[in-house]
Order: sequence, then C-alpha cells, then structure tokens
Amino acid sequence: MLIKINLFLIVVVLLCLSATKCFASSSYVLPYPSTMPGSIFYKVHLVEEKLLQYWYFGNFGQFYYNLKESDKYLVEAKTLFEYNQYLLGYNALKKSDLYFENTLPYLMDAKKEGKNISDNRTMLSEASKKHIEALLKMKSEVPEAFNWTPEKSSVTELRLFDTIDNSIMIREKYL
Amino acid sequence: MKKILFLLYFLFLLTFTFLSYLFIDPNLIYLKPLYSGLAFTQKSIITLLYISSILVFFGFYSIFIWLIRKKEVYLNEFKIIIGLTIAVLFFSYPAMLSYDIFNYIATAKVIFFYHENPYILMPIQFAGDPLLLFVHAANKTALYGPSWIILSGIPYLLGFGNFLVTLFAFKFLNVIFYLLSIAVIHRLTKDVYRLALFALNPLVIIETLVSSHNDIVMMFLAILALHFLTKKKLIIPLVLILLSILIKYATIFLLPVFLYVAINNYKSRRINWDKVFLASSISMLAVFLLSPLREEIYPWYSIWFLVFLPFINGRKITLFYLSLTFGLMLRYIPFMYLGTYFGPAPLLKIILTFLPALMLSVVMMFRYLGKRVIFNRR
Repeated sequence: MLIKINLFLIVVVLLCLSATKCFASSSYVLPYPSTMPGSIFYKVHLVEEKLLQYWYFGNFGQFYYNLKESDKYLVEAKTLFEYNQYLLGYNALKKSDLYFENTLPYLMDAKKEGKNISDNRTMLSEASKKHIEALLKMKSEVPEAFNWTPEKSSVTELRLFDTIDNSIMIREKYL
Repeated sequence: MKKILFLLYFLFLLTFTFLSYLFIDPNLIYLKPLYSGLAFTQKSIITLLYISSILVFFGFYSIFIWLIRKKEVYLNEFKIIIGLTIAVLFFSYPAMLSYDIFNYIATAKVIFFYHENPYILMPIQFAGDPLLLFVHAANKTALYGPSWIILSGIPYLLGFGNFLVTLFAFKFLNVIFYLLSIAVIHRLTKDVYRLALFALNPLVIIETLVSSHNDIVMMFLAILALHFLTKKKLIIPLVLILLSILIKYATIFLLPVFLYVAINNYKSRRINWDKVFLASSISMLAVFLLSPLREEIYPWYSIWFLVFLPFINGRKITLFYLSLTFGLMLRYIPFMYLGTYFGPAPLLKIILTFLPALMLSVVMMFRYLGKRVIFNRR
C-alpha cells in the first residue's frame, strides 16, 4: 500500500513539474519568418518598415510597431543563424534589440497621457519571456564567436554568445 | 384639414421619439435616469408598438405623397413637414435600432482623444474607457473610410468631452447632410413629388434622423458629384466621388457610371441622364444585394439606391423600391421580439425583408396577366 501511495505521489510531483515547465513558457506567439536578406522583396519590406513607422502613430501605436518589428527581426536572426548566416543574423538581432528597447518608453508615455497600460504591460512581459526562450534556444545552436570573412574585406569577429546574452539582458529588464 | 394632418404627424413623431427611449441600453450610464428596460422585458408589447409605428409612418408617407402628387401640398408645406420631422426626431434616442452611432463616437475618440490610429487600435484596447460599457463593435478597428474618420472629428470635438453633447452633435451632422441631400436632389429634379419619395420615406427618415447612419453622407457626396457632372465639370466630381468612396467604400460601384459620363462629356456626346441615374441606382442596388457576402443586408444600406429614386421614371421600380423599404423596416422585428440573432431570427429577417416586394411582384404579375387575358378575349 505504501509503495502505491509513494508511486502516486511521485506521479503527482512529476505532473506538477511538467505543468510548471509548461506554465514557464510564454503564450506570446512570434510571427512567421518574413522575407530574408538577399530576396528582392527584402528592400521593399525595409521601405514598408519605414512607412509603417508613421502609420503606427500614437504611443500605443508606436509600442505595437516597435514590438512587431522586434519580433520580426528576432525571427529573422533565428532563421539566419540556422542557415549559418552569422553576420546577417547578428545584424538582425541588433535591430531586434533596438526595437525592443523602444517599447517600454512608449508605454510609459501612454501612461503619462492617462491611458491604462496594464494589458500592454502584460503583453510586453509575455513577449520578453518568449524572446528569452527563443534567444536561449538560439544560444544553444550557435558558436560562441565567429570570424566572418567577407570577400575582399577585413575579418569581423562576431561574439555571438555575448550578443545573445546582451539581448537576453535587455528583455529581462522588461519582464 | 391639412393642419390636422400636420398636427397628427407631429404627435406621431413625438410618440415615436418617446418609443425610441424605451430602447436605452442598460449600460448607457449617461441616460440611466431614462432607462426603463421595457425593450428587453416587454418584448411583445414593444414589438407591437414598433410594428404599429412603422405602419403609421408608412401611412403618413402615403398620404403626403398622394397630396403632393395631387398638388395639394406644395414646396412650402413640404418644407414644414421636413422641418417638423427634423425638429422632433433630432431628439430621439439614436441607438433604438442600431448601435452604429456609438461605434462612430468610439472610433472618433481613438483618433481625436487618444491620438492613436483607429485602423490599428480597437476601442477595447483602451481599458477603463466608459464607452466600452455600451459600444457593441469595440473589438473592431475602424470600419469606415478616412473621409468619415476626419469628418467625425467635427461632431466629436464639438462635444467638448461630454458624451451626450457628442451624441447629439453626431445626430446634427446627419441632419445637415440630410438637408444638403434634399437640396441637391431638388436642384436636379425640380419636382417636389419625386423629392418627397426619397426625403419623406420612413426608412430614410429613421435611418438618417433617428439612427444617424453615415450612409447619407456617402450618398450626398455621390449625388453632388453627379450634379457637377451634369454641369460638365470633371475635377470636382472626381474629388467628390473619391471622398464618397472613402466614407464607406460602397460608392466605388458608381465609378463605371462616372467613367461613362466623363468620357461622353469629354467627347461632347449627348447623355441620357435618365439612364445614368437608373444605372447608378441599379449599381447600388446590386451592391446592396451583395452585402450578405460581407455581413448581412442592413436596412440603412438601402439609402445607397433610394437616393436615386427621385430621378427614376418608372412606376414599377418606384413601387418595388418602396415595398423593399417597408420590408427592410420589418427586418428589425425578429430580434426585437426574440431578443436573439440566432434560431429562427435570420430566416424570419429574410422573409420579412423580401415578402412585401415579393407580394407586390405577384400582384403586378397577376394584373399583367389579367390585362393580357382581357386583351386576348377582345
């Protein structure tokens, strides 16, 4: 009987642990990868990105715009790293960081205007979690550093682990 | 006799205005003292009152049209009827049959109060806003074009942050466009009878002066564009029709007609305006009939083709349009009585909408067949 109870308790604890693991992951959904550098549509997307900056006016609008672009570049970086395009992936990650850093200040400005930001703050927190998840996965798949040698140009050392750690740190601030 | 008729009409309008206030939304905090809840608790009585009101409204419409046709009511008296209608119904509760006016206000608030893009942000994203208590399309981004969004800034800003002032400012905007539409139609037709067919139609009055739908704005710009086309202008009508399209997009279906007129104007060819107006009306009727593909047929969409009614010479098509407007006003009954959009309500709505027009078609067909039989016997 005691063995059965112990087994039951072990099962319960295991279930709880697996459940905890599930709850730890964010429900925030990242977008599909967009066009990649090298595609003829990529430049069109860059123009679209600039134009959308004006379309998303207002503090909430800018918050959504920056988060959307940060998501897009994070997914772009992840995809490029998967194809060993480290320099392009590195640049995309830097862009994602820049956009991500812009999000909270716009929310704070919205708060100053008297807007209720609680839902968007939760969304940002969830997005941070999701980004960190993606970044940790990315870190496990890329080399610590990489020397990028383009044709007829000097070598660039990409410290990928440091960059990813820095990206994680930026996201952790907004958790 | 006419004075008594006008007095009865005035009393009827007052009753209808009173009836409209029985439909106040329980969450509309600004009109809480006037809330009775009768529309939600006494559905049978309210439905009966509504049906009676519609019958009386169409009764008055028929009498007025008959008197105008017999030249017993002239332009000045017509103006009195219009004045009475506006003066009373302006004070009616606008969300009696549709909540669209709240959507207009909510969308205007997103841009003019929160300074955010209403095509990206939904009203529901502004947690804690009191409008969310009673706006029914709070989970949708702006449904209308930029012309309307910009125009809605006028009544919104004139409301100075007071909901009730804003609500009636929106109603006032519609009154202006209703009057402007009447003025343009009168300028084009110079016929009070034909003008009255549109201006006094109970559907046009209820959907424009009570429910304050923006369709009248879109159609005013379209007929004004046609007015300028009759003057052989090109740029002004083009701008006007573009503005009209950017209200609610439906008038995009008028572009082929505009193109036809513009080309003929350019080539100095003679234009048969009767055909132009008929084609415009039929184009808009087609869009109206296609609206279930997008959502459903809403009664106020009929303003799209009704606005051309004064320009159409044809008894059959006039009667068809009028029977359709009557059916469309009956379309509200299933929801009013059942309190749901589900179950038998959708089917009943379709039946009630098209039944009067169908009955009229059958009567016309029998009359036609009867005449042929008599003719053959002779």
